[in-house]
Amino acid sequence: MGKLWSLFFVLSAVISVAVCWFAPGWHWWFPGDGQAHSTIGKRIDALFYLILVIVAVTFVATQAVLGYVLWRGATIKPEEKTLFSHGSHSLEVIWTIVPAAVLLFIALYQLDVWAQFRIKGAIKDKNGHMVKPEPVAEVTARQFEWRIRYPALGKPLQPKPQPDDIYSVNELHVPSGRPIEITLRTDDVQHAFFVPELRIKQDAVASLKIPVWFDVLENRSYDMLCAELCGWGHYKMKAKLFGHSQEDFDDWKEHASVEQFDDGFRKPVEEK
Amino acid sequence: MSRYRVRQQSLKRWQMACSAGRLARWMALLIVVGFVGCGPGPQAEFSYRESTQKLIPDAQKAVKQTLQEGFGTPQDLVAWERFPIGYGGVRGSIVAPPKDANSTSKSVIARLEGVTDKISNNSPILWLTGVRSEGKSASDTVASFDAKTGELKWSGAAEPVPATGDVFIVGFGRSLQQGRSVYMKNCMHCHGVSGDGAGPTAQFINPRPRDYRLGVFKFTSTLSAEKVRRDDLHRVVKYGIPGTYMPSFLLLGEEETKSVVEYIRWLAVRGEFEKRTDDDLGDFTEDSVADTVKKSATAFESAKKAGEKADRPASLNSVRKSAAEAFAKYLSDDMPGAVEDTATFLAEAWTRADDEASLIVPAVPRVADNAASRERGRLLYMSDKTKCYTCHGMLGKGDGAATEDFWKKPGSEELYPRRGLHDTWGNPLQPRNLTLGQYRGGRRPVDVFRRIYAGIKGTPMPGFGKTALKDEEIWDIVNFAMSLQYQSPQPVKVNSVGHVAGTDAAATR
Repeated sequence: MGKLWSLFFVLSAVISVAVCWFAPGWHWWFPGDGQAHSTIGKRIDALFYLILVIVAVTFVATQAVLGYVLWRGATIKPEEKTLFSHGSHSLEVIWTIVPAAVLLFIALYQLDVWAQFRIKGAIKDKNGHMVKPEPVAEVTARQFEWRIRYPALGKPLQPKPQPDDIYSVNELHVPSGRPIEITLRTDDVQHAFFVPELRIKQDAVASLKIPVWFDVLENRSYDMLCAELCGWGHYKMKAKLFGHSQEDFDDWKEHASVEQFDDGFRKPVEEK
Repeated sequence: MSRYRVRQQSLKRWQMACSAGRLARWMALLIVVGFVGCGPGPQAEFSYRESTQKLIPDAQKAVKQTLQEGFGTPQDLVAWERFPIGYGGVRGSIVAPPKDANSTSKSVIARLEGVTDKISNNSPILWLTGVRSEGKSASDTVASFDAKTGELKWSGAAEPVPATGDVFIVGFGRSLQQGRSVYMKNCMHCHGVSGDGAGPTAQFINPRPRDYRLGVFKFTSTLSAEKVRRDDLHRVVKYGIPGTYMPSFLLLGEEETKSVVEYIRWLAVRGEFEKRTDDDLGDFTEDSVADTVKKSATAFESAKKAGEKADRPASLNSVRKSAAEAFAKYLSDDMPGAVEDTATFLAEAWTRADDEASLIVPAVPRVADNAASRERGRLLYMSDKTKCYTCHGMLGKGDGAATEDFWKKPGSEELYPRRGLHDTWGNPLQPRNLTLGQYRGGRRPVDVFRRIYAGIKGTPMPGFGKTALKDEEIWDIVNFAMSLQYQSPQPVKVNSVGHVAGTDAAATR
């Protein structure tokens, strides 16, 4: 029986590693193609994989030790003496210091990623410049949709609505390839702005205007959704984020503006 | 002391028994819920209007049967072809019989209009003309279709052989079915199975979800007397209605949006058909029966008081019986005609809505949005010609004097129990606060123009187009109304009230 358990614990480690290894090929991994499509997303992924490796090594090692101990216990001969290690001072020190060091390393190593995601947009860099990304749109979550306000072509985003602002629903258009800022608001309850393929997630909190900084690396559409159970229609809050080249983005704005300010008047067709 | 102890012990034992029993009960409940949860839900049903429920039994039966025949049930939809609804399917006509023609080949050469790669085997074939359209061939389905040669084989009876030129539809009703499933997934929980705006989540929502059954929709681009266009419904489904719980369904995709719009139009036609049929049967309600009995009793009483000789008052049973007899006569003589008239009326109204002539197109382009135009707009807003301010308020905050009044229910002397305006559905209604920049029917200038031109159907907002205001004047009001979000309007001094409005403006800005 002891041998069986020993094999079980060793095998569970082997199976876990194998499944994780093949998971990306089976699309059991991250959404989309499994890659992050923003700069910050790539750094978040790198952190994730680092931690995954640390955890995997620890997991495999402890499972191996566990398997060994069980096997030894199951196959021990009656005349053999048992080793009694309880109260070993050096062992206690080792398994306190080593995990603490690993955790401390992770805590320090991730600081810069967190700073880039949440802090750097609001402070000056080494040369004394603000590195604040360009504000592109104000995204307002409400039960159960995303309403988005953009400044007119060539104008900066103002905190209050302007007469020439452009509006869209459930479609967030942004320029790709450079850092941008969106202002996140909610009209009612708490929502969360989530673009899985960019690894960007931020809660929208009532009465707060929260800046979200990211960039989009490719000119294509990404799924965008609400990641906070916000009510019975939570599932309806699916939307799309479109990354455009600057040119396409300007074109889109122009087109949207023409449509939004349509006065319905059509010149009568001249008779030939 | 000892007695106390015994009691306590027994109490404990009782408690233990109780909690064990409770646990068992919970487990049993969980198991039951688990199994029930796996089974199919309750079957969706079209509900009937209150006015139908109030008819005498025979009339009720007749109305329900007519609806059943014309529209079916949610599980078994009936596509009534005379209504201008895109039921879906691909139209085709027979070009030639196959060359190796023997009568049992069950194949023809056909030309299909539109997308032919969507023809799947087993799609039903509906013959519109020719010998096969005359009954019997109703269960024909596609056995195979070759898009290159155009050869269509059907499974079903071989005889009679259709002739060249016969018209048919493959997969008739497919859009309606698709619309139904989209509707059931996304719309039903607010708008209800029958489109009565009384789905399970409706009661938590203010403003209430639209009840389609009057055939009235608020945000349209058509003239006051016309129905809603497909494009209008399409816009609402796609972009939602800001300020209400109607969200945007932009991600549904074009085909699903189109089919759900057709389904909504179909529900609206069904609802209005029922309402108009009920209206025709006004003499055959339980109320009118009770009324007759009451009247006859009063007549008898007053005759007796005056000392005259009078017939005994009619009994409830006799009045019921005579009403049933009168209805039987109506059913055979007039009802088919009345149903026919209603259907014709609805078919025409819904067809007309999509005509170009029903669309409101401004005769002049938008008047330049400048201070002068806004000032002209403001003066019109405050004028007695439009009386905008009575509802929308001096400052456009939607708090005009009309919101403080008690209003009569339409068609009666009775007042609504609440102050303020009400819509056709009887729900309390706030005039729009124009300073919020929230445009339910769309924020394009043309949308606001159409609101003022034709009014908002089903609400006290009247239309000003053609009669009261010229198009230029409407544009001035549009410019003024759309500027309210960005600036404080100058309150006009109106006798003694003027200073109140003035201080309001100072206090809020």
